[in-house]
Amino acid sequence: MRGGHAGPLVRQETHGDRVDMTVTDEELVARSIAGDTDSFNQLILRWEGPMYALAYRQLGREDDARDVVQDAFLRAFRALPGFKGEAKFSSWLYRITLNLCRDVMRRAKRAPFVQTPEGVDIADLVPSDAPAAESMEDVVARKDLSRHVARAMSLLPEEQRSAIILKEYHGLTFQEIAELQGCPLSTVKTRLYQGLTVVRRELDRQGRGPAGAESRTP
Amino acid sequence: MSYLYEEGTAAERLAFEAHLRQCERCAAEAASLRAVRVDMAAWTPPETVLDFRIVREPAQATSRWGWMSTMPAWAQLAAASLVIGVAAGLSGLDVQYGSDGLIVRTGWSRPAGARPAGDAPAAAAAGADHPWRAEMAALREQLLGEINQAASAPQAVRVSAGAADGGEASVDDEFLARVKQLIEASEARTQREMALRLTEMVRDMDTQRRADMRRVADGLGVLEGRTGAVTAQQREVMNYLMRVSQRQQ
Repeated sequence: MRGGHAGPLVRQETHGDRVDMTVTDEELVARSIAGDTDSFNQLILRWEGPMYALAYRQLGREDDARDVVQDAFLRAFRALPGFKGEAKFSSWLYRITLNLCRDVMRRAKRAPFVQTPEGVDIADLVPSDAPAAESMEDVVARKDLSRHVARAMSLLPEEQRSAIILKEYHGLTFQEIAELQGCPLSTVKTRLYQGLTVVRRELDRQGRGPAGAESRTP
Repeated sequence: MSYLYEEGTAAERLAFEAHLRQCERCAAEAASLRAVRVDMAAWTPPETVLDFRIVREPAQATSRWGWMSTMPAWAQLAAASLVIGVAAGLSGLDVQYGSDGLIVRTGWSRPAGARPAGDAPAAAAAGADHPWRAEMAALREQLLGEINQAASAPQAVRVSAGAADGGEASVDDEFLARVKQLIEASEARTQREMALRLTEMVRDMDTQRRADMRRVADGLGVLEGRTGAVTAQQREVMNYLMRVSQRQQ
Protein backbone atom coordinates (compact mmCIF):
# COMPACT_ATOMS: atom_id res chain seq x y z
CA MET A 1 0.00 0.00 0.00
CA ARG A 2 2.83 2.32 0.37
CA GLY A 3 5.44 3.86 -1.80
CA GLY A 4 5.15 2.75 -5.37
CA HIS A 5 1.72 4.05 -6.29
CA ALA A 6 1.49 6.00 -9.48
CA GLY A 7 -2.05 7.03 -8.64
CA PRO A 8 -3.71 8.20 -5.45
CA LEU A 9 -2.30 7.29 -2.10
CA VAL A 10 -4.20 6.88 1.14
CA ARG A 11 -1.98 7.93 3.97
CA GLN A 12 -2.46 8.39 7.67
CA GLU A 13 -1.95 11.94 8.71
CA THR A 14 -2.75 13.89 11.78
CA HIS A 15 -5.08 16.72 10.92
CA GLY A 16 -7.23 18.98 12.95
CA ASP A 17 -10.15 18.44 10.59
CA ARG A 18 -13.55 17.72 11.99
CA VAL A 19 -16.42 16.01 10.30
CA ASP A 20 -18.63 18.52 8.52
CA MET A 21 -22.14 17.09 8.71
CA THR A 22 -23.84 19.95 6.89
CA VAL A 23 -23.21 18.30 3.55
CA THR A 24 -24.73 14.97 2.60
CA ASP A 25 -22.75 11.97 1.47
CA GLU A 26 -24.33 12.23 -1.95
CA GLU A 27 -23.16 15.82 -2.38
CA LEU A 28 -19.65 14.93 -1.30
CA VAL A 29 -19.62 11.97 -3.67
CA ALA A 30 -20.69 14.20 -6.56
CA ARG A 31 -17.95 16.71 -5.76
CA SER A 32 -15.39 13.92 -5.44
CA ILE A 33 -16.33 12.55 -8.83
CA ALA A 34 -15.85 16.03 -10.23
CA GLY A 35 -12.27 15.93 -8.97
CA ASP A 36 -12.51 17.51 -5.52
CA THR A 37 -10.19 15.39 -3.40
CA ASP A 38 -11.03 17.35 -0.24
CA SER A 39 -14.64 16.21 -0.50
CA PHE A 40 -13.51 12.62 -0.62
CA ASN A 41 -11.36 13.26 2.43
CA GLN A 42 -14.50 14.51 4.18
CA LEU A 43 -16.16 11.19 3.35
CA ILE A 44 -13.14 9.39 4.77
CA LEU A 45 -13.44 11.40 7.98
CA ARG A 46 -17.08 10.39 8.28
CA TRP A 47 -16.69 6.72 7.57
CA GLU A 48 -13.23 5.62 8.67
CA GLY A 49 -14.42 4.93 12.23
CA PRO A 50 -17.39 2.70 11.32
CA MET A 51 -15.34 0.93 8.67
CA TYR A 52 -12.52 0.30 11.12
CA ALA A 53 -14.99 -1.05 13.67
CA LEU A 54 -16.53 -3.32 11.04
CA ALA A 55 -13.14 -4.61 9.87
CA TYR A 56 -11.89 -5.08 13.42
CA ARG A 57 -14.93 -7.07 14.49
CA GLN A 58 -14.68 -9.17 11.35
CA LEU A 59 -10.94 -9.83 11.59
CA GLY A 60 -10.11 -9.39 15.27
CA ARG A 61 -6.77 -7.70 14.59
CA GLU A 62 -6.03 -3.99 14.71
CA ASP A 63 -3.31 -4.07 12.05
CA ASP A 64 -5.39 -6.06 9.61
CA ALA A 65 -8.40 -3.82 10.21
CA ARG A 66 -6.32 -0.70 9.61
CA ASP A 67 -4.89 -2.12 6.37
CA VAL A 68 -8.32 -3.13 5.17
CA VAL A 69 -9.74 0.35 5.81
CA GLN A 70 -6.84 1.96 3.97
CA ASP A 71 -7.22 -0.39 1.04
CA ALA A 72 -10.99 0.07 0.99
CA PHE A 73 -10.73 3.85 0.71
CA LEU A 74 -8.13 3.54 -1.99
CA ARG A 75 -10.36 1.22 -3.98
CA ALA A 76 -13.39 3.39 -3.40
CA PHE A 77 -11.51 6.46 -4.60
CA ARG A 78 -10.39 4.73 -7.75
CA ALA A 79 -13.81 3.23 -8.43
CA LEU A 80 -15.73 6.40 -7.58
CA PRO A 81 -16.42 7.40 -11.21
CA GLY A 82 -18.25 4.08 -11.58
CA PHE A 83 -20.39 4.62 -8.48
CA LYS A 84 -23.91 5.18 -9.79
CA GLY A 85 -25.59 5.95 -6.51
CA GLU A 86 -27.99 3.02 -6.76
CA ALA A 87 -27.06 2.07 -3.20
CA LYS A 88 -26.11 4.33 -0.33
CA PHE A 89 -22.46 5.37 -0.32
CA SER A 90 -22.05 3.81 3.11
CA SER A 91 -23.48 0.50 1.88
CA TRP A 92 -21.04 0.60 -1.01
CA LEU A 93 -18.17 1.19 1.41
CA TYR A 94 -19.39 -1.62 3.66
CA ARG A 95 -19.49 -3.95 0.69
CA ILE A 96 -15.90 -3.10 -0.29
CA THR A 97 -14.75 -3.50 3.30
CA LEU A 98 -16.49 -6.84 3.75
CA ASN A 99 -15.02 -8.14 0.51
CA LEU A 100 -11.54 -7.12 1.61
CA CYS A 101 -12.07 -8.73 5.01
CA ARG A 102 -13.11 -11.89 3.23
CA ASP A 103 -9.94 -11.76 1.15
CA VAL A 104 -7.80 -11.34 4.26
CA MET A 105 -9.46 -14.28 5.98
CA ARG A 106 -9.18 -16.40 2.87
CA ARG A 107 -5.50 -15.59 2.49
CA ALA A 108 -4.79 -16.30 6.11
CA LYS A 109 -7.08 -19.34 6.08
CA ARG A 110 -7.85 -18.80 9.68
CA ALA A 111 -10.68 -17.94 11.98
CA PRO A 112 -10.70 -14.41 13.35
CA PHE A 113 -8.04 -13.87 15.92
CA VAL A 114 -9.37 -12.59 19.20
CA GLN A 115 -7.00 -10.29 20.97
CA THR A 116 -6.11 -10.63 24.66
CA PRO A 117 -7.55 -14.13 24.96
CA GLU A 118 -5.77 -15.18 28.11
CA GLY A 119 -3.67 -13.68 30.87
CA VAL A 120 -4.82 -10.13 30.35
CA ASP A 121 -2.80 -7.47 32.11
CA ILE A 122 -5.27 -5.68 34.33
CA ALA A 123 -3.59 -2.35 33.64
CA ASP A 124 -4.44 -2.71 29.96
CA LEU A 125 -8.10 -3.03 30.78
CA VAL A 126 -8.35 0.58 31.82
CA PRO A 127 -8.71 2.87 28.81
CA SER A 128 -7.22 6.31 29.22
CA ASP A 129 -10.53 7.87 28.20
CA ALA A 130 -12.73 5.74 30.44
CA PRO A 131 -15.74 7.64 31.71
CA ALA A 132 -15.09 9.17 35.08
CA ALA A 133 -18.32 7.75 36.49
CA GLU A 134 -17.30 4.19 35.65
CA SER A 135 -15.65 2.48 38.57
CA MET A 136 -12.66 0.19 38.25
CA GLU A 137 -14.91 -2.78 38.94
CA ASP A 138 -17.25 -1.78 36.12
CA VAL A 139 -14.36 -1.29 33.73
CA VAL A 140 -12.95 -4.72 34.51
CA ALA A 141 -16.35 -6.37 34.16
CA ARG A 142 -17.10 -4.62 30.90
CA LYS A 143 -13.74 -5.50 29.37
CA ASP A 144 -14.12 -9.06 30.54
CA LEU A 145 -17.53 -9.29 28.92
CA SER A 146 -16.16 -7.71 25.74
CA ARG A 147 -13.51 -10.40 25.57
CA HIS A 148 -16.10 -13.13 26.00
CA VAL A 149 -18.34 -11.66 23.30
CA ALA A 150 -15.39 -11.37 20.92
CA ARG A 151 -14.47 -14.98 21.53
CA ALA A 152 -18.05 -16.16 21.00
CA MET A 153 -18.35 -14.12 17.79
CA SER A 154 -15.12 -15.61 16.46
CA LEU A 155 -16.78 -19.02 16.51
CA LEU A 156 -19.50 -17.99 14.05
CA PRO A 157 -19.39 -18.63 10.31
CA GLU A 158 -18.46 -15.49 8.39
CA GLU A 159 -21.99 -14.86 7.06
CA GLN A 160 -23.58 -15.05 10.50
CA ARG A 161 -20.88 -12.92 12.06
CA SER A 162 -21.12 -10.17 9.44
CA ALA A 163 -24.93 -10.19 9.62
CA ILE A 164 -24.83 -9.69 13.38
CA ILE A 165 -22.13 -7.03 13.18
CA LEU A 166 -23.97 -5.06 10.50
CA LYS A 167 -27.24 -5.25 12.41
CA GLU A 168 -26.04 -4.92 15.97
CA TYR A 169 -23.25 -2.38 15.64
CA HIS A 170 -24.03 -0.53 12.41
CA GLY A 171 -27.81 -0.49 12.51
CA LEU A 172 -28.41 -1.64 8.95
CA THR A 173 -31.87 -2.84 8.04
CA PHE A 174 -32.58 -6.45 7.18
CA GLN A 175 -33.01 -5.38 3.56
CA GLU A 176 -29.67 -3.58 3.44
CA ILE A 177 -27.89 -6.60 4.91
CA ALA A 178 -29.64 -8.86 2.41
CA GLU A 179 -28.39 -6.68 -0.44
CA LEU A 180 -24.86 -6.62 0.95
CA GLN A 181 -24.78 -10.35 1.46
CA GLY A 182 -26.60 -11.13 -1.76
CA CYS A 183 -29.20 -13.33 -0.11
CA PRO A 184 -32.95 -13.26 0.63
CA LEU A 185 -34.21 -11.26 3.58
CA SER A 186 -35.39 -14.42 5.30
CA THR A 187 -31.85 -15.81 5.14
CA VAL A 188 -30.56 -12.73 6.94
CA LYS A 189 -33.04 -13.28 9.77
CA THR A 190 -32.08 -16.94 9.99
CA ARG A 191 -28.40 -16.05 10.15
CA LEU A 192 -29.08 -13.51 12.87
CA TYR A 193 -31.08 -15.93 14.95
CA GLN A 194 -28.60 -18.79 14.58
CA GLY A 195 -25.68 -16.50 15.33
CA LEU A 196 -27.30 -14.97 18.41
CA THR A 197 -28.15 -18.45 19.64
CA VAL A 198 -24.52 -19.56 19.39
CA VAL A 199 -23.30 -16.39 21.12
CA ARG A 200 -25.83 -16.90 23.92
CA ARG A 201 -24.73 -20.49 24.38
CA GLU A 202 -21.05 -19.52 24.49
CA LEU A 203 -21.65 -16.70 26.95
CA ASP A 204 -23.59 -19.02 29.19
CA ARG A 205 -20.89 -21.63 28.93
CA GLN A 206 -18.27 -19.07 29.94
CA GLY A 207 -20.37 -18.06 32.91
CA ARG A 208 -20.30 -14.45 31.84
CA GLY A 209 -22.11 -11.43 32.02
CA PRO A 210 -24.08 -9.04 34.14
CA ALA A 211 -26.79 -7.92 31.78
CA GLY A 212 -28.87 -10.92 30.95
CA ALA A 213 -27.95 -13.30 33.72
CA GLU A 214 -31.19 -12.84 35.51
CA SER A 215 -33.45 -12.61 32.51
CA ARG A 216 -31.87 -15.42 30.50
CA THR A 217 -33.49 -18.81 30.65
CA PRO A 218 -31.41 -21.56 32.22
CA MET B 1 -36.12 -11.14 14.61
CA SER B 2 -38.25 -8.24 13.40
CA TYR B 3 -39.65 -7.87 16.91
CA LEU B 4 -36.23 -8.16 18.51
CA TYR B 5 -34.78 -5.44 16.28
CA GLU B 6 -37.98 -3.40 16.11
CA GLU B 7 -38.22 -3.46 12.34
CA GLY B 8 -41.75 -4.68 11.88
CA THR B 9 -44.85 -2.56 11.56
CA ALA B 10 -46.76 -1.43 14.62
CA ALA B 11 -49.51 -3.94 13.87
CA GLU B 12 -47.03 -6.81 13.67
CA ARG B 13 -45.46 -5.73 16.91
CA LEU B 14 -48.75 -5.58 18.75
CA ALA B 15 -49.73 -8.99 17.43
CA PHE B 16 -46.42 -10.51 18.53
CA GLU B 17 -46.66 -8.92 21.98
CA ALA B 18 -50.09 -10.44 22.37
CA HIS B 19 -48.60 -13.81 21.50
CA LEU B 20 -45.80 -13.35 24.03
CA ARG B 21 -48.33 -12.74 26.79
CA GLN B 22 -49.83 -16.13 26.12
CA CYS B 23 -46.69 -18.13 25.30
CA GLU B 24 -44.15 -18.39 28.10
CA ARG B 25 -41.61 -20.17 25.95
CA CYS B 26 -41.52 -17.46 23.29
CA ALA B 27 -41.48 -14.76 25.95
CA ALA B 28 -38.48 -16.37 27.64
CA GLU B 29 -36.69 -16.73 24.31
CA ALA B 30 -37.29 -13.10 23.40
CA ALA B 31 -36.06 -11.90 26.79
CA SER B 32 -33.00 -14.09 26.54
CA LEU B 33 -32.05 -12.82 23.10
CA ARG B 34 -32.60 -9.24 24.25
CA ALA B 35 -30.19 -9.90 27.10
CA VAL B 36 -27.61 -11.23 24.64
CA ARG B 37 -27.93 -8.02 22.68
CA VAL B 38 -27.26 -6.02 25.83
CA ASP B 39 -24.16 -8.10 26.52
CA MET B 40 -22.95 -7.66 22.97
CA ALA B 41 -22.90 -3.90 23.38
CA ALA B 42 -19.85 -4.37 25.61
CA TRP B 43 -17.76 -5.47 22.64
CA THR B 44 -15.95 -2.36 21.42
CA PRO B 45 -12.95 -2.11 19.09
CA PRO B 46 -9.75 -0.72 20.60
CA GLU B 47 -9.23 3.03 20.42
CA THR B 48 -7.18 4.09 17.47
CA VAL B 49 -6.30 7.19 15.49
CA LEU B 50 -6.94 6.69 11.81
CA ASP B 51 -7.07 10.03 9.97
CA PHE B 52 -6.63 8.58 6.53
CA ARG B 53 -6.26 11.06 3.66
CA ILE B 54 -6.01 10.91 -0.07
CA VAL B 55 -2.72 12.77 -0.47
CA ARG B 56 -2.03 12.49 -4.16
CA GLU B 57 -4.13 13.46 -7.13
CA PRO B 58 -4.85 10.76 -9.68
CA ALA B 59 -2.88 10.96 -12.91
CA GLN B 60 -4.76 13.37 -15.18
CA ALA B 61 -3.62 11.93 -18.47
CA THR B 62 -1.85 8.77 -19.37
CA SER B 63 1.24 9.51 -21.37
CA ARG B 64 2.51 7.37 -24.21
CA TRP B 65 5.19 6.13 -21.84
CA GLY B 66 2.93 5.87 -18.81
CA TRP B 67 3.07 2.10 -18.70
CA MET B 68 6.83 2.30 -18.24
CA SER B 69 6.45 4.08 -14.92
CA THR B 70 5.57 0.78 -13.27
CA MET B 71 8.85 -0.77 -14.40
CA PRO B 72 12.04 -0.52 -12.39
CA ALA B 73 14.91 1.48 -13.90
CA TRP B 74 16.98 -1.55 -14.79
CA ALA B 75 14.06 -3.07 -16.66
CA GLN B 76 13.54 0.16 -18.58
CA LEU B 77 17.22 0.16 -19.57
CA ALA B 78 17.02 -3.45 -20.67
CA ALA B 79 13.86 -2.79 -22.67
CA ALA B 80 15.44 0.20 -24.40
CA SER B 81 18.54 -1.83 -25.33
CA LEU B 82 16.39 -4.64 -26.63
CA VAL B 83 14.31 -2.31 -28.78
CA ILE B 84 17.41 -0.72 -30.32
CA GLY B 85 18.99 -4.11 -30.94
CA VAL B 86 15.89 -5.62 -32.50
CA ALA B 87 15.34 -2.51 -34.63
CA ALA B 88 18.91 -2.73 -35.92
CA GLY B 89 18.47 -6.43 -36.62
CA LEU B 90 15.16 -5.99 -38.41
CA SER B 91 16.48 -3.20 -40.56
CA GLY B 92 19.41 -5.39 -41.56
CA LEU B 93 21.84 -2.63 -40.66
CA ASP B 94 25.36 -3.84 -41.37
CA VAL B 95 28.31 -1.49 -40.97
CA GLN B 96 31.77 -2.65 -42.15
CA TYR B 97 35.04 -0.88 -42.58
CA GLY B 98 37.73 -2.59 -44.59
CA SER B 99 39.93 -2.24 -47.61
CA ASP B 100 36.90 -1.23 -49.66
CA GLY B 101 36.23 1.68 -47.34
CA LEU B 102 33.16 2.19 -45.13
CA ILE B 103 30.23 0.02 -46.20
CA VAL B 104 26.77 0.42 -44.79
CA ARG B 105 24.22 -2.19 -45.81
CA THR B 106 20.49 -2.10 -45.18
CA GLY B 107 17.87 -4.65 -46.17
CA TRP B 108 18.48 -8.30 -46.59
CA SER B 109 21.21 -8.25 -49.20
CA ARG B 110 22.80 -11.57 -48.40
CA PRO B 111 21.54 -14.94 -47.32
CA ALA B 112 22.69 -16.18 -43.94
CA GLY B 113 25.18 -18.61 -45.39
CA ALA B 114 26.77 -16.16 -47.82
CA ARG B 115 28.96 -14.34 -45.36
CA PRO B 116 32.63 -14.00 -46.20
CA ALA B 117 34.80 -16.62 -44.63
CA GLY B 118 36.66 -13.96 -42.65
CA ASP B 119 33.52 -13.03 -40.69
CA ALA B 120 33.30 -16.28 -38.81
CA PRO B 121 36.55 -16.07 -36.83
CA ALA B 122 35.90 -12.44 -36.05
CA ALA B 123 32.42 -13.29 -34.82
CA ALA B 124 33.77 -16.20 -32.84
CA ALA B 125 36.38 -13.99 -31.23
CA ALA B 126 33.77 -11.38 -30.43
CA GLY B 127 31.49 -14.09 -29.09
CA ALA B 128 34.19 -15.31 -26.78
CA ASP B 129 34.60 -11.84 -25.31
CA HIS B 130 30.91 -11.00 -25.15
CA PRO B 131 28.51 -13.95 -25.22
CA TRP B 132 25.52 -11.71 -25.78
CA ARG B 133 27.02 -10.51 -29.04
CA ALA B 134 27.16 -14.02 -30.37
CA GLU B 135 23.56 -14.54 -29.31
CA MET B 136 22.46 -11.31 -30.90
CA ALA B 137 24.33 -12.26 -34.09
CA ALA B 138 22.68 -15.67 -34.10
CA LEU B 139 19.28 -14.09 -33.58
CA ARG B 140 19.89 -11.65 -36.37
CA GLU B 141 21.04 -14.36 -38.72
CA GLN B 142 17.91 -16.34 -37.92
CA LEU B 143 15.69 -13.36 -38.59
CA LEU B 144 17.58 -12.61 -41.78
CA GLY B 145 17.09 -16.15 -42.96
CA GLU B 146 13.37 -16.07 -42.35
CA ILE B 147 12.70 -12.65 -43.76
CA ASN B 148 15.09 -12.87 -46.68
CA GLN B 149 12.71 -14.96 -48.72
CA ALA B 150 10.03 -12.31 -48.72
CA ALA B 151 12.34 -9.32 -48.84
CA SER B 152 12.45 -6.90 -51.70
CA ALA B 153 15.45 -6.34 -53.88
CA PRO B 154 18.63 -5.85 -51.87
CA GLN B 155 19.97 -2.38 -51.26
CA ALA B 156 23.67 -1.82 -50.90
CA VAL B 157 24.98 1.56 -50.10
CA ARG B 158 28.64 1.94 -50.62
CA VAL B 159 30.40 4.96 -49.29
CA SER B 160 33.96 4.70 -50.48
CA ALA B 161 36.71 6.62 -52.12
CA GLY B 162 36.24 4.55 -55.29
CA ALA B 163 32.54 5.20 -55.78
CA ALA B 164 31.85 5.06 -59.46
CA ASP B 165 28.56 6.85 -59.87
CA GLY B 166 28.39 10.36 -58.40
CA GLY B 167 24.55 10.61 -58.47
CA GLU B 168 24.17 7.26 -56.75
CA ALA B 169 26.70 8.30 -54.10
CA SER B 170 24.68 11.45 -53.44
CA VAL B 171 21.51 9.43 -52.85
CA ASP B 172 23.47 7.11 -50.59
CA ASP B 173 24.76 10.06 -48.56
CA GLU B 174 21.28 11.38 -48.05
CA PHE B 175 20.05 8.00 -46.97
CA LEU B 176 22.94 7.55 -44.55
CA ALA B 177 22.38 10.98 -43.09
CA ARG B 178 18.70 10.21 -42.66
CA VAL B 179 19.48 6.95 -40.84
CA LYS B 180 21.92 8.72 -38.55
CA GLN B 181 19.38 11.40 -37.86
CA LEU B 182 16.73 8.85 -36.95
CA ILE B 183 19.10 6.96 -34.66
CA GLU B 184 20.21 10.15 -32.92
CA ALA B 185 16.64 11.28 -32.45
CA SER B 186 15.73 7.91 -31.02
CA GLU B 187 18.67 7.98 -28.62
CA ALA B 188 17.85 11.51 -27.48
CA ARG B 189 14.22 10.54 -26.89
CA THR B 190 15.24 7.49 -24.90
CA GLN B 191 17.63 9.53 -22.78
CA ARG B 192 14.96 12.11 -22.06
CA GLU B 193 12.49 9.45 -21.00
CA MET B 194 15.07 7.74 -18.82
CA ALA B 195 16.01 11.02 -17.13
CA LEU B 196 12.35 11.77 -16.51
CA ARG B 197 11.70 8.34 -15.01
CA LEU B 198 14.76 8.58 -12.79
CA THR B 199 13.71 12.01 -11.57
CA GLU B 200 10.22 10.77 -10.75
CA MET B 201 11.60 7.74 -8.97
CA VAL B 202 13.92 9.83 -6.84
CA ARG B 203 11.09 12.20 -6.00
CA ASP B 204 8.77 9.35 -4.99
CA MET B 205 11.41 7.81 -2.76
CA ASP B 206 12.08 11.14 -1.12
CA THR B 207 8.38 11.75 -0.47
CA GLN B 208 7.97 8.28 0.98
CA ARG B 209 11.04 8.70 3.18
CA ARG B 210 9.72 11.96 4.58
CA ALA B 211 6.32 10.42 5.27
CA ASP B 212 7.92 7.45 7.02
CA MET B 213 10.08 9.74 9.14
CA ARG B 214 7.05 11.75 10.15
CA ARG B 215 5.16 8.58 11.05
CA VAL B 216 8.05 7.40 13.17
CA ALA B 217 8.20 10.76 14.89
CA ASP B 218 4.44 10.68 15.54
CA GLY B 219 4.72 7.16 16.92
CA LEU B 220 7.47 8.19 19.30
CA GLY B 221 5.38 11.13 20.44
CA VAL B 222 2.40 8.87 21.15
CA LEU B 223 4.63 6.46 23.07
CA GLU B 224 5.99 9.27 25.18
CA GLY B 225 2.48 10.43 25.92
CA ARG B 226 1.36 6.96 26.86
CA THR B 227 4.16 6.41 29.31
CA GLY B 228 2.65 8.95 31.67
CA ALA B 229 -0.83 7.55 31.13
CA VAL B 230 0.31 4.02 31.87
CA THR B 231 1.93 5.17 35.11
CA ALA B 232 -1.30 6.80 36.19
CA GLN B 233 -3.26 3.70 35.27
CA GLN B 234 -0.92 1.47 37.24
CA ARG B 235 -1.26 3.73 40.24
CA GLU B 236 -5.03 3.52 39.96
CA VAL B 237 -4.87 -0.25 39.64
CA MET B 238 -2.68 -0.50 42.73
CA ASN B 239 -5.15 1.62 44.66
CA TYR B 240 -7.93 -0.63 43.47
CA LEU B 241 -6.09 -3.76 44.53
CA MET B 242 -5.36 -2.20 47.91
CA ARG B 243 -9.03 -1.37 48.37
CA VAL B 244 -10.06 -4.89 47.44
CA SER B 245 -7.52 -6.49 49.76
CA GLN B 246 -8.52 -4.21 52.64
CA ARG B 247 -12.15 -5.09 52.03
CA GLN B 248 -11.36 -8.79 52.18
CA GLN B 249 -9.46 -8.33 55.44
